[in-house]
Amino acid sequence: MEKKIIRNERTGEQYIYVKHPTGLDIYIWKMENYSTTYALFGTKYGSINTKFKTKSEPDFITVPNGIAHYLEHKLFENEDCDVFSLYAKTGASANAYTTFDKTCYLFSCTDNVYESLEILLSFVQNPYFTEETVQKEQGIIGQEIRMYDDNANWRVFFNMLQGLYLNHPVKIDIAGTVESIAQINADLLYKCYNTFYNLNNMVLSVAGNIDEDKVLELCDKLLKNNENPQLETAFEPEPETVCKNEVVQKLEVSMPIFNIGFKAKPESGLEQVRAEIETNFALSLLADESSAFYKKLYDDGLINSSFSSEVFLGDGYFCSIFGGESRNPKLVRDKLIEEINRCKKEGLDRDRFEAVKKSYYGALIRDLNDSEAIATVMLNAGMEKLSAFDIIETVAKVSFEDVSERLAKQFDTEKVTISIIEPVHGEEEQA
Amino acid sequence: MAIKYNREKLGDGIHYNSIINERQKTNTIIIHFVTGLSQETASLNAVIPYILAGSSSVYPTITELNKKLSELYGAVIKGSVSKMGDSQVLSLMAGCINDRYAFDGEKVTEDMTKVMTDCLISPHLQNGVFFEKDFELKKRELIDDIEAEINEKRSFAFKRANMNIFSGEPAAVSVKGDVSHAEKLTSADAYKQYLELLKTAQIEIFFVGAQESAGCKKIITDSLNSIGRAFGGENSSAKSPLKSEVCRVTEKYDVAQSKMVMGFKTDCGDPVTMKLMNAIFGATPISKLFMNVREKLSLCYYCSSGYNDKKGVVYVDSGVEQENISKAEAEILNQLDAMRRGDFTDEEMENARKSVINSWKGVSDGARSIAEWYFSRSYSGDSLSPEEMIEKLKKVTREDIVKAADSLKLDTVYVLTGKEEKPEN
Repeated sequence: MEKKIIRNERTGEQYIYVKHPTGLDIYIWKMENYSTTYALFGTKYGSINTKFKTKSEPDFITVPNGIAHYLEHKLFENEDCDVFSLYAKTGASANAYTTFDKTCYLFSCTDNVYESLEILLSFVQNPYFTEETVQKEQGIIGQEIRMYDDNANWRVFFNMLQGLYLNHPVKIDIAGTVESIAQINADLLYKCYNTFYNLNNMVLSVAGNIDEDKVLELCDKLLKNNENPQLETAFEPEPETVCKNEVVQKLEVSMPIFNIGFKAKPESGLEQVRAEIETNFALSLLADESSAFYKKLYDDGLINSSFSSEVFLGDGYFCSIFGGESRNPKLVRDKLIEEINRCKKEGLDRDRFEAVKKSYYGALIRDLNDSEAIATVMLNAGMEKLSAFDIIETVAKVSFEDVSERLAKQFDTEKVTISIIEPVHGEEEQA
Repeated sequence: MAIKYNREKLGDGIHYNSIINERQKTNTIIIHFVTGLSQETASLNAVIPYILAGSSSVYPTITELNKKLSELYGAVIKGSVSKMGDSQVLSLMAGCINDRYAFDGEKVTEDMTKVMTDCLISPHLQNGVFFEKDFELKKRELIDDIEAEINEKRSFAFKRANMNIFSGEPAAVSVKGDVSHAEKLTSADAYKQYLELLKTAQIEIFFVGAQESAGCKKIITDSLNSIGRAFGGENSSAKSPLKSEVCRVTEKYDVAQSKMVMGFKTDCGDPVTMKLMNAIFGATPISKLFMNVREKLSLCYYCSSGYNDKKGVVYVDSGVEQENISKAEAEILNQLDAMRRGDFTDEEMENARKSVINSWKGVSDGARSIAEWYFSRSYSGDSLSPEEMIEKLKKVTREDIVKAADSLKLDTVYVLTGKEEKPEN
């Protein structure tokens, strides 16, 4: 068993990495004097992974949208009971989530941590579903999908993704659609499970007041050997241009809500971390609350404090998003494009660069208070074969010139989509 | 390992609460102004923390203030408004990294405390009132916020339900007030109210950090000493009375999925027992509501219960398809009847107990959660630590729980539903 201490001099923090003989990557961060332990067991398998092949099935197959999320729901049932009722005996608070590129099972607890870990490691490795139990889930997941249909913040985001992306499955709702989940059956679920829930494709991340040897002992006892399936995933080719420049929908909201996305070239590995951080710095310098641009739009009443920006990225997609509420979202977009073009020509605000850097660094230090944040950072980094400290180190080393270059590269004002949710009731009806 | 909590009187109706926890990598200061909730002043009060958190006489614009905060390693100053029982709580929160993480040994925490207290007692003024332009923006934002509540259907339904559950009581008032009052606000009125609150409101200060900071405490004490006090008295809440008839309200909006909120009143004076009863009934994924109404019968996508100890109310909050509304209501009542009959296993009871203990033990890991804990405790008139509450919880018996469940009486059923009629199943 390969065991490494990953240490960061800047913060004086450290954690342990173990490559388990079964292929699983294990990360353990001991937090002295904390009450809560947080554990994540995740697979690099999310809603976008609908096309794949393995050594035993050498032709690419395509499965229905929403199947990763469906599988997450079904894994929470054992042959004889619900997984929640197992955790009930330890008092742990348990949950699971599916994102675009991962599925994670988690618990947090203050007592009985090893018993809880045993439950986690066991149920994720022991799927049980029949045609009948799979059918039963259609109703609940259908209701979940319908609930999101009413959620304006969710809709505005996915409508934007549908404008930005022509082929990439990131544009599809994580839970799929009522139609796509109707095609899911037990055979398909087993096929996806056996492909993606292979320990070679998974990560265990634990942070809290724990004894690493006891964690590893449990892993030795419970992890099952499985052969590396040599999994490959694929996506349809995605054009560099956007699919639609504008997407508008009406819902029960008080004021128009908008998302403005700038499509850029995706990266991977450490280059992806750099791209993410440098783009975040560019977003801060362009339009955060301390920027002249923000103040101007805010004072003109064009945006309110809900205005924010973020980088959204993953396997095969990368975009920068500005979102908020405005009575005139298209004017916000026009002003934004104008400002980006101005900054490309005249340069970003160099005076604020050091302060932005300190802010990012401070936020990363704040995360070190929290076992959930630490376990999540270790898992996310681990899935990319990176260290949890790569972010903090990249932030510490980033230069103003790097950020300026990133602005030139990542913000093509031709590749923009605006998504707007307009109120059902027009101004005339309200008067 | 244990945390140290100390509460000290600084002045008339002013208390300094320090929570020392050596594992903290950050320092957090929260200043609460606690005052009575009323329709007339809710919006007027609500706008104040947002104005204060956005500027000061030293940093008169949000841009300058944010620049300073960025230099303090992304320190944050935030205003917020919340409800506790019949009281409105206006808060300023500030947080920064522990000084030992600073690149060049800067005194980040004291510096931030100074910025915060300037925001609090030395706002950016113009002609003797809040700077007009800032005020107008915050006022418009408050109105936008109130109007945007409908965007989140679950919390919106909960707010509308509360108006009915607490009809005629201060707790019925929405925490940010309403648009008609908000529209009439002026900078002069808001400034006058701000001065009034400085003088009369109950002020609770919380410091959470790895060690005591005499410097921070002095900065806060000095700033508060500069205000003349005429304390208006401690705040408290009355238990909500049961209506003589169940109040039923249905409201229609453009939504795909319906929401139902049921309010139950209780005269049970033991919040620890009630908390455990609520955990078995509907507060966890192994509770009766989750396992039966959601999992077994698929009647709701979510269905959970919560307990407001200040007002003596248990509410059941559910997302339900329109055609299943009456079925879901009947099944929720059915599950409550099971609680009243003592129809729950010892295992269900012990599991729920473990779940509450788990969440209470975790409270001390977070700066805000532990500050919130002691604020809530002091509002209720004691200073019990999570560990002390856990000891009480361990002693609750099956009989206590049955009695607590039996004390619940249905008071209100609120339904938010779509405009298209669908036949009931």
